[in-house]
Amino acid sequence: MKSKTNQLTITYILIAVFVAIVFYKISIKYYYLDYYKIFNFTKDLALVFLTGMTFRYILSKNDNRNKIIFEKLKKTNDEIKESNEKYDIVAKATSDTIWDWKIQKDKLFWNKGIKSIFGYDQDQVGESSKWWFDNIHPEDSIKMSIKLYSFIEQKTENWQDEYRFKCADNSYKYVLDKGFLLKDENGKVIRMIGAIQDITKQKKEELRLKLLETVIVQTKDSIIITEANFNKTKLPKIVYVNPAFSVMTGYSVHEITGKSPDLLRGINTDKDNIKKIITSIKNREESVIEIIAYKKNEEEFWLRFSMIPIYNSENELSHWVSIQRDVTEEKKQEIEKEHLIRELTKNNKDLKQFSYITSHNLRAPLSNLTGLLNLIEDIPIENSELKEILHGFKNSTNLLNETVNDLTKVMIIKDNPSTRKEVVVLKEVFEKIQSQLIFSSHTHQTILKVNFENAPLLEANKSYIESILLNLLTNSIKYRSENKILEISISTHQAENQVIFIFTDNGIGIDLERNRDKVFGLYQRFHNYPDSKGLGLYLVKSQVEAMEGSISIESEVNKGTTFTITFKNN
Amino acid sequence: MLDLILCVDDDPITLMLSKKVIFKTTFTHEIITAQNGEEALQFFDSIRHKGADFNIRPQLIFLDLNMPVMGGWEFLDSFNSLAYSDFNTTTKIVILSSTIDPADLEKAKTYPMVIDFLSKPITLSMLDYLSKKV
Repeated sequence: MKSKTNQLTITYILIAVFVAIVFYKISIKYYYLDYYKIFNFTKDLALVFLTGMTFRYILSKNDNRNKIIFEKLKKTNDEIKESNEKYDIVAKATSDTIWDWKIQKDKLFWNKGIKSIFGYDQDQVGESSKWWFDNIHPEDSIKMSIKLYSFIEQKTENWQDEYRFKCADNSYKYVLDKGFLLKDENGKVIRMIGAIQDITKQKKEELRLKLLETVIVQTKDSIIITEANFNKTKLPKIVYVNPAFSVMTGYSVHEITGKSPDLLRGINTDKDNIKKIITSIKNREESVIEIIAYKKNEEEFWLRFSMIPIYNSENELSHWVSIQRDVTEEKKQEIEKEHLIRELTKNNKDLKQFSYITSHNLRAPLSNLTGLLNLIEDIPIENSELKEILHGFKNSTNLLNETVNDLTKVMIIKDNPSTRKEVVVLKEVFEKIQSQLIFSSHTHQTILKVNFENAPLLEANKSYIESILLNLLTNSIKYRSENKILEISISTHQAENQVIFIFTDNGIGIDLERNRDKVFGLYQRFHNYPDSKGLGLYLVKSQVEAMEGSISIESEVNKGTTFTITFKNN
Repeated sequence: MLDLILCVDDDPITLMLSKKVIFKTTFTHEIITAQNGEEALQFFDSIRHKGADFNIRPQLIFLDLNMPVMGGWEFLDSFNSLAYSDFNTTTKIVILSSTIDPADLEKAKTYPMVIDFLSKPITLSMLDYLSKKV
C-alpha cells in the first residue's frame, strides 16, 4: 500500500514537473507581452487544472484496481465462511468425534463429540496430545502410538487404527480413528486432523459372533449347514461343516462342501428314514431322525441328527442346519437293554407261573395231611408212643402249612403291588385280631394300650392291615420277656398327608447293631425259638411297601422294640 | 340237609377225606364222586333222560380245578353251556382247590353257578358255613 502511494505521488510529481517545465518554456516566449500578468495567471490556472485532471485520472484508475481486488477478497472470504459453515454442519451431523492437532505447538482441539460420545466436559478435556494418549487402553496404546508416529514421519500413506478409549465414567469404548496430515509449502507437517468413530457396538457384536462361532467350531457335535432347496434330485448342497463333522465322518471340509449329504448313505440305510428327511425338507418341518450312515472309510455307524429350517429376514427359507451325533454306542446299549428286559420279563413270567404251580402242588398234599390229621383227633389212641409220634407229626404238618401259606401270601403281595384300597377303621380291625389272639395269649398277662383317636381311619388294604397287626402282635407275644409283664402300646398319629402308626412292646428286643440290615429279610431269625420261621417281618414289610408305606424299627435287647409305620394318606 | 352231592377230584385221598369229613356231619345224605371233569359230565349225561327225578340230581358239586383229562375250568365251560341248561340252574358249585393264583378267584366269579371258592382241606366248620349258604 505504501509503495503504491509513493508510486502515485512520484507519477503525479513527474507529470506536474513536466507540465511546469512546458509552461515555463511558454512563459519565456511570451515574457514581453504586456498582458503578461493575465497570461501568467491563466498559465497557473491551466497548470492547476491540468495537474488536477491528471491526478483525478490516476486516482480513478487506482480506485478501479482496488475495487477489483476488494471484490476478489470478498469472494474468498465468503467461500471461507461457507466452508466453515459446512464444516460445522458436518461436525454437528456426524457422530464422529473430530480432533485437530497442531503438532508443533502440541495443541489438540476436540469437537463436541468428546462430550456426547465419551462424556467429557470441556474442563475435563486436556489441551495436549498427552491427554489423548493417556486415555487409550494400556493394552492398545503402544501399538497405536507406533503406527501413529510412523504415519506422522510419513512412512505410511494413510492412518487409521482401532483402539479402546476411556470414557469419563472410566469405561472403555472401542473406536475407529482415521486421520490425515496438513503440510506447509515446504512439505512440513504442521497439523493433523482426525475423526474418531465409536465402534463399540460393532466390536461387541463381532466378539459375540466370535464367541458363538467357537461353539460351532469347538463342539463335539457335528454341525452341517446346507442350502434351502434340493440339489437336483439330491439333498440340499452342504455350505458348511464344522471340524467335529470331519472327525466323525472322515470327510474333510473341502471334500464335502458343495456336495449333498447323500454321501453318508449306504446299503443298510433305512429307506423310510430317507423319505422322512425328504418330507421334512418339502414341508419345511423340524425333525429328529436316526439312521445308519457310513463314514468315508465305509464304516457303518448310527447317526442321530436334527434338521432345523433357517429363515432370513425376509422370512424366506435360506438354509437348513443339522446337528448330528454318532449314537452307535447308545444304540448298541439300547438294543442290549431291550433284549435284557424282554428276557427278564419272560423269566419273571415263567418264574411266577412256576411258583404258582409249585405252591399248588405243595398245598394239595399238605391240605390232605391237615385234613387227615383233623380226622385222627376224634379217634382215641391208646398207645402212648403212637400218640407222641402223631403229636410230632401234627406239629410239623402245621408248621409246614403255615410256612407254605406265608410264602403264598408273600408271592401274591409281590405279584400285585397295586392293591385295592378302602377306608379301614383301625379299632374294628384291632378288635377282630384281638379275638383271634385270645386263644394263644390267654395264659399270659398282657397290658394293652391302644389309642387310635388321633387317626382312627386309614386308607389301605384291609386284609394287609389285619395281617400286619396280627404279625406284630404275634411277634410281641412270642418274644416276650420272661420276667416282665408284657406291655404293648399301639397308637396312630396324623401328620401332613401321612398317618404314622407306632407299635411298641417291652419284649426281648433285637440286637440291631448286628442285625439292622437283616431285620426285614426273608428267613432271618434272631432267636432260637422252635416255631419261628423268619417270615413275619418280611411279610409285614412287603405289605407295607405294597401300600406305598414305609416301616422302620428301633430296638434294644431286653428293653423292647418299636415299629414305626408311615402310610400315605390322601 | 342235602340229598346228593358230587365231589370231583383226581386225588383219591382228597375224595376219601371229603367223604369222611362230610359223613361226620348232616350235610348230605349221599355222596358220589368223579375223578375229573369228563367223568362228571358223563354222569350228568347219564341222568339226563331219567326225567324229573330230583333225587338223583346232585344239589352241590365240590369241584377241584387242576385235574387230568378235563380240568375244572373246562368242566365249568361245558356245564355253563346250553347243553347242560337242565342242570346248571339247580346245581350249585363250590370250587375246592389249593390254587393261590388270584386270577383263578376272579375267573370263578364269572360263572353264575359257582357260589364259593374255598381252600382245601375240607373242614367241619367249612361245611357248617356252607350248609347255611346253600
